[in-house]
Amino acid sequence: MSPAPLSRRAAVRSLAAAAASTLPLAIPACRRGEVKRPNGPVFPVALLPCPDYDPANLAKALAEGWAAAPPPDVHGKRVVIKPNIADFSQDRPIHTDARLVEALILLLRDAGAGEVVVAEGPPHNRDTEWLFRQTGYEDLARRLAVPLVDLNHDDVRPVRNADPRAKALRELYLPETILSADVVVSVPKLKTHRFAGLTLSLKNMFGAVPGMKYGWPKNVLHWNGIPSSICEVNATVRTGYSVVDGVVGMEGYGPILGTAKRAGVLVMGPNALAVDAVSARVMGVDPARVDYLAMAQAIELGSLRPEDIRLTGASLDDVRTDFILPPGFSALRPGAPRG
Amino acid sequence: MNADAVRRALGFIRDRQNSDGGWGYRPGRRSLVEPTGLCLAALAAGGGGAGASAGLDFLRSCRKSSGAIGIDPTDPEASWMAYAAILAFDALGAADEARRLAEAALAMEDASGRFTADEVSSIAMTYRYDASIRGWPWTPGTTAWVEPTALFMIALVRAGISPEHERLKSGVRLLVDRRVRSGGWNFGNPYSQTQELEATPLSTALALAGLGAAGYLGERAAVREGLRYLAGALAGDVSAIALAWSALALECYPFGGPGRPDPVARLAGLQAESGGFRDNLVETALAALVLSGPGGLVGRRGRAG
Repeated sequence: MSPAPLSRRAAVRSLAAAAASTLPLAIPACRRGEVKRPNGPVFPVALLPCPDYDPANLAKALAEGWAAAPPPDVHGKRVVIKPNIADFSQDRPIHTDARLVEALILLLRDAGAGEVVVAEGPPHNRDTEWLFRQTGYEDLARRLAVPLVDLNHDDVRPVRNADPRAKALRELYLPETILSADVVVSVPKLKTHRFAGLTLSLKNMFGAVPGMKYGWPKNVLHWNGIPSSICEVNATVRTGYSVVDGVVGMEGYGPILGTAKRAGVLVMGPNALAVDAVSARVMGVDPARVDYLAMAQAIELGSLRPEDIRLTGASLDDVRTDFILPPGFSALRPGAPRG
Repeated sequence: MNADAVRRALGFIRDRQNSDGGWGYRPGRRSLVEPTGLCLAALAAGGGGAGASAGLDFLRSCRKSSGAIGIDPTDPEASWMAYAAILAFDALGAADEARRLAEAALAMEDASGRFTADEVSSIAMTYRYDASIRGWPWTPGTTAWVEPTALFMIALVRAGISPEHERLKSGVRLLVDRRVRSGGWNFGNPYSQTQELEATPLSTALALAGLGAAGYLGERAAVREGLRYLAGALAGDVSAIALAWSALALECYPFGGPGRPDPVARLAGLQAESGGFRDNLVETALAALVLSGPGGLVGRRGRAG
């Protein structure tokens, strides 16, 4: 859809702003996953080669990334893994591969996590039972005895939108599974996106917004403006760690109708924006040219700047593989003429 | 009618009513309008009884001064879940309240009037649908989609709104316009650029039920191709909720010929020892309505299809 200002609705909403300001914040602050240095924060990000979804290869890459870009303390904590299950196709790698999430669950259990939950609110297809089964998540949850939560139909409650610039959505109804998590781990697929340019860890959190309140395909967020909504959701929801599934991603007309693109990497770290910045560079994109990433940096969700990111593992030059961009997004390439 | 299965399903529902009178999607979860409305509609089909009055009181607590209804008592906005409340009020004989909610639903705006001519043209090029056709959105003021349009059409006809009402006729036009050209429906984008988006069983079943409720003729291409898609889909992996809506759609447009899929029998086979279906109150309520026999939800009471 063509996002447009929601002027009438925004006006109505502004009348409710005072009431909304009494709602609790979901998180106490926006900054997370940072390491202090004298001149400012440094965000660790691990870039790990991973040639395929073989469990041994996934476990090795995840363990190396975990050590190089450590997560928050998960010992005894309730950890919610949020994969991307935007839809399912036999022919296209739309969703985060369940084998990666399985390896991550095992790693979290080894690290002493008290409880691990897998949760997703698919954006288009309201038939979550079918999606969970087709994508392998139902089987995974049964085998590993992990709760599998449909965030579109979870209990919800309103919290204050933590983005101070938010105008239309002064409060957000969010799922209890997300709000009650000690650590949320965003596990997106490395994909292009026909509206946003890219969909990575920050955009993945659209799936935490409940369809039963905001509809399918989370249309309120589209009308609110996709870049603004991405920032508002991520300013409000705590994402403690990100693991981007770049073993096989999607290029072209993503996030549903693109084609498979093998990048052979996992990108991991405690700051979602820094992880997204590195992931964008893997795809041959200048993250500062992606609207919502630049906006996220402006509201201090982290940093895109290479000097603020402590990158470990593979070098970007070794793993960079240019993804075909969606129509209208050629200006995202480093040095490309701006449209 | 599978009387024993219905009795056990209704027992599952009654035993899981929350203290506020409502039901959540799952046992013990917070009450919401959709599961409450459908549970009440199922109980009404089984004779009503204890719990119905408290359930209606919960729905009343969710109403706004505008006459619309939110997802729960805290929600300040109108919601798509109104469809289920309309069904409940109507089924339990609260005709005036059903009518007031129906009027609010008829007044619910989608985005069709907000799109500029250029935007309508752009959407037609990219998605191959007519964004100027009015239907129903999930939330007021946003884009109309297939499923909320079908759900409101089913509820409004049930509550006595004529299929000749301009909004219902527009809803029919929207459903026909949004169909996937190779058959069936998805959430509401038949195409994206040059690629057709795949139909899905749940959206297809709901669209057919919506068209059936509005009396749309089964001989027309949209229905025939939708049924062809659905027959193929029902031969494979289908969810409980898609089976339930398929069964309801097929009350309006029965499959012809032998050897066709039987979603009613398949749905009945999913009932757990507890009497519930996947421990989900919406699915259990829909299954109870299906297993109660034709006419329980789609179409006007006393008129099959």
